[in-house]
Amino acid sequence: MNRVTNRTWLMAIFILVLMTGMLFFLGEYWMKADSWVSAPGSPHVYSNRNLGVGTIEDRSGTLLLNMGSKREYADNKATRKSTLHWLGDREGKISAGAVSHYAGAMVGFDRINGIYNTEQTAGTTKLTISSRVQNAALEALNGRKGTVAVYNYKTGEILCAVTSPTFDPNEVPDVAGDTTGTWEGVYLNRFTQVSYIPGSIYKVVTAAAALESVPGIEDMTFQCTGKVEYGEGENVATVTCESVHGKLNLKGALANSCNCCFAQIAEVLGRDAMLEAVQRLQVTDSVRFDGITTARGNYDITGAGAASFAWSCIGQHTDTVNPARFMTLMGAIAGGGQAASPYIVSQVTCGEDITYRAQTEKTDRIMSEEIAATLKTYLRGNVKDIYGDWKFPSIQVCGKSGTSQVGGGQTSNALFAGFAADPQYPLAFVCVVENGGYGATTCIPILNKVLSECKAIMAG
Amino acid sequence: MEEILQTVLQSHRDLGDMIIHILRYLAPLVALILMIRCIKPLLTFRKEPEIWGWLNMPDGTQIPITHWENVIGRSKSCDITIDFPTVSRNHAVLTRYDDGSWTISDAESKGGVLVNGKKVQICAVHSRSRISIGGVEMQLQPISQKQEARQAQLRTKAASGWDSVANLLLLTILQILMTLGFLLSGTETDLIPILQGFGGILACQWLLFGFYGMIHRASFEVETLAFFLCTMGMAAIATVKPQESMKQLIAMVLGVIIFLIIGWSLRDLERAKKVRYLATVAGVGFLVITLLFGTEYYGAKNWLIIGGMSLQPSELSKVCFVFAGASTMDRIMQKRNIIMFIAYSILICALLALMNDFGTALIFFCSFLIIAYLRSGSVGTVALAVTALIFAGVIALKIAPHALQRFATWRHVWEDPFNAGYQQCQALMCLASGGFFGLGAGRGRLQHVFAADSDIVFATISEEWGLIMAVLTVVCIVVFGFFAIRTAYMARSAFYCIGACTAAGVLVVQTILNCLGTLDILPFTGVPFPLLSNGGTSMMGAWGLLAFVKASDTRQNASFAVRLKGGKKA
Repeated sequence: MNRVTNRTWLMAIFILVLMTGMLFFLGEYWMKADSWVSAPGSPHVYSNRNLGVGTIEDRSGTLLLNMGSKREYADNKATRKSTLHWLGDREGKISAGAVSHYAGAMVGFDRINGIYNTEQTAGTTKLTISSRVQNAALEALNGRKGTVAVYNYKTGEILCAVTSPTFDPNEVPDVAGDTTGTWEGVYLNRFTQVSYIPGSIYKVVTAAAALESVPGIEDMTFQCTGKVEYGEGENVATVTCESVHGKLNLKGALANSCNCCFAQIAEVLGRDAMLEAVQRLQVTDSVRFDGITTARGNYDITGAGAASFAWSCIGQHTDTVNPARFMTLMGAIAGGGQAASPYIVSQVTCGEDITYRAQTEKTDRIMSEEIAATLKTYLRGNVKDIYGDWKFPSIQVCGKSGTSQVGGGQTSNALFAGFAADPQYPLAFVCVVENGGYGATTCIPILNKVLSECKAIMAG
Repeated sequence: MEEILQTVLQSHRDLGDMIIHILRYLAPLVALILMIRCIKPLLTFRKEPEIWGWLNMPDGTQIPITHWENVIGRSKSCDITIDFPTVSRNHAVLTRYDDGSWTISDAESKGGVLVNGKKVQICAVHSRSRISIGGVEMQLQPISQKQEARQAQLRTKAASGWDSVANLLLLTILQILMTLGFLLSGTETDLIPILQGFGGILACQWLLFGFYGMIHRASFEVETLAFFLCTMGMAAIATVKPQESMKQLIAMVLGVIIFLIIGWSLRDLERAKKVRYLATVAGVGFLVITLLFGTEYYGAKNWLIIGGMSLQPSELSKVCFVFAGASTMDRIMQKRNIIMFIAYSILICALLALMNDFGTALIFFCSFLIIAYLRSGSVGTVALAVTALIFAGVIALKIAPHALQRFATWRHVWEDPFNAGYQQCQALMCLASGGFFGLGAGRGRLQHVFAADSDIVFATISEEWGLIMAVLTVVCIVVFGFFAIRTAYMARSAFYCIGACTAAGVLVVQTILNCLGTLDILPFTGVPFPLLSNGGTSMMGAWGLLAFVKASDTRQNASFAVRLKGGKKA
């Protein structure tokens, strides 16, 4: 008998495995339970793909969404439409990544009570956007697809980021059955999830590259004859301008958005310097904020001929940029080579506590102060000399328009990017109107409205 | 009028909310007290040294006989060591029986065993019998009946009947609290099955206790813990599939009956040895029937559908396997028996390989390991190890590829929370949402996830009743394990010792696989949590295994499985 009983220790090993496993688990629980609760798909915290507890309000405290069981949106229909893509819809087809990112801070989880008290203590997420500006922007877009965004490049707050098309979550359209194309890409947030062919706004990137890499570029002049030809005979490729601009320096070429001059600047600049500039300026990188990673842009000149390379420096070829990224680039120029990173969630409260408060973070320095200053004068010149300050009656701006050819016989996309000249209003902005035609013509009226609203908000 | 009605309704609701709030803390508290009260006597009883007789040696010395089954030999690990060159290392087994009679059997020794000058294989011995082992003469002197009665009185008493009543009352309070929780949670539609479920367990536990009283048994801790697990299981069913509460209740009643039958058959060792043959055949039979007429679910063919009822006969096979593996000392010492057991294990192993059920195979393998280790002495260790190797090899070659997918997601569930890791991620999310005290009856969301009442039942309990409660269910199983080890030292026969340890081992291993699988600490195998998971056959099997744990308990008046001496009351 002794022998058998002395062997029962084997059983103790199994018991030990169970106990060790449980202890290990309790350790994991203590360390990770909050991340488990707030992980996407967590049944008590999410409904569908979106957060299901707490409330969201805009910068002035307007209630945008109560995420309780009914998911009640703002009272105002315009606000419901203009803010939908930051809040997420009821079905979870539009996912509100930024709000979900702070689920942990908002649901009021504690290890002892779990989320038992959440009904009472579920928090409020305050966004940096203003519903008033959002509504103005959406109204200005007037049903056209695209995006308008403005941010404070000194603090990082995104005041406006509107995407169109959008819909009223209380009157969900029949998206699947739509054949007219009205709702094409309606679930996408065009500000973060889409990259557009930039067209001429990309000349800012090329100009920055030239200022950095080509000594004496400001003193050089280029001749526009309306056309630059590459290659010979049947394989001839051209870069063209809509009119003959004559002799221009870099500033003039940017102001007149002269393709031919920029083709010559591209040649002077060279591929390596351009590639290096794109990388340094982070033009194709994602912007990361509040758990959102925006779409990447594209700059690829492998195997590109001379003409294609020239076009790539004019924002065509295979170039794409994400609006949020380009807005940040504008902020960096305005801020002297460095700006605040944009963000949309300013504060999360849970019960009485502030569980998250946004802090301004600086972007990397992407250019020297001198080059930024030069570019600023160029972009200011664009507006003053070409577009006309009278088109922005409310605020003086620096900027560059773009009209990007999208092919397929479609009308070009209209783009405009820039920033306010007055440092009292540190606003950088971007506007894209799909198939909107000329950038300046289409975007400036929209931006004028949006910026004047922003100014009003900032003035208090 | 309407205003008054509104006020009444509102105050009603407020009261309900308040009760739910109090319940959150009260239920785990009651469970904790119950647990401590039950665990203490199970783990703290003293092991009284017992002497059942003496061997009078020719030189006048007396060697005390401290067990019912004693190996006599030259080896130091023998129960009675006779250091004499002609005595084999393991020479003979001296066995005492329930009626006080003794036998001696030859353990395949070189010199043989002589009783009254005759060479014997197995022979009854009396106080005057002359026993010769390897030329060493000795005489057996059993203790007198008076001494035996005194010894019985000295044995640790099991908890008094009043302690058990208090424990059962605590469990009853817990059950009422839990039912109240469901009443207030607003799941009106399923109230009747929920009431039936909890009420049925409540009635069953008191009936069994009453029956114990009739047969003068007082110890009810193991049973109370088992009923606690059943209650928690019912809570999971009430929230996930209330319509199955009656089915589970019936399974539990059947389980208790099986518990009593196995207990009864274990009470008499001679009867147990006979039933063992039946169980051995049944163990194979269940598997063969499943193979022939079974239905395949999720790649494993381990379901039998009879008249709308789905059974998992392999669950009952586990009980049979424990029966087959348990053995008395005199038989353990014979090579032939070990070879028979190896052959039996290989047969079971082959059948399991055909069934393709990884989880069950793993449990059988672990119980095989326990049995093999407990049984193998100096003889047969190697052979058993080889069998173990074959066992593992077959599992690896035949079954593992099917289970490999589960291994792939192990510790990586968060990389694919909506697909491969879905069940476990949901389980962890909900478990964490419940915190230490849970969200309240019926308020969980894990109920919508597949197998919320079986494979991931731990998380379901944790979500609604809190982590404390869920951990207590695991504690129950751990206590069964430790209790089996402790009682092994007092077991009357190696048969009970092996039976109890293996049975508890199976319960522990199942809990390891179920619980740690749910929590992504081990690969997810979908094995039922004993007594807790929804599943009729598994419920019956678990009660059957508990009978073995109970049978080795020799505390005074503790176990129905041990016969009372002289009909004395506690």
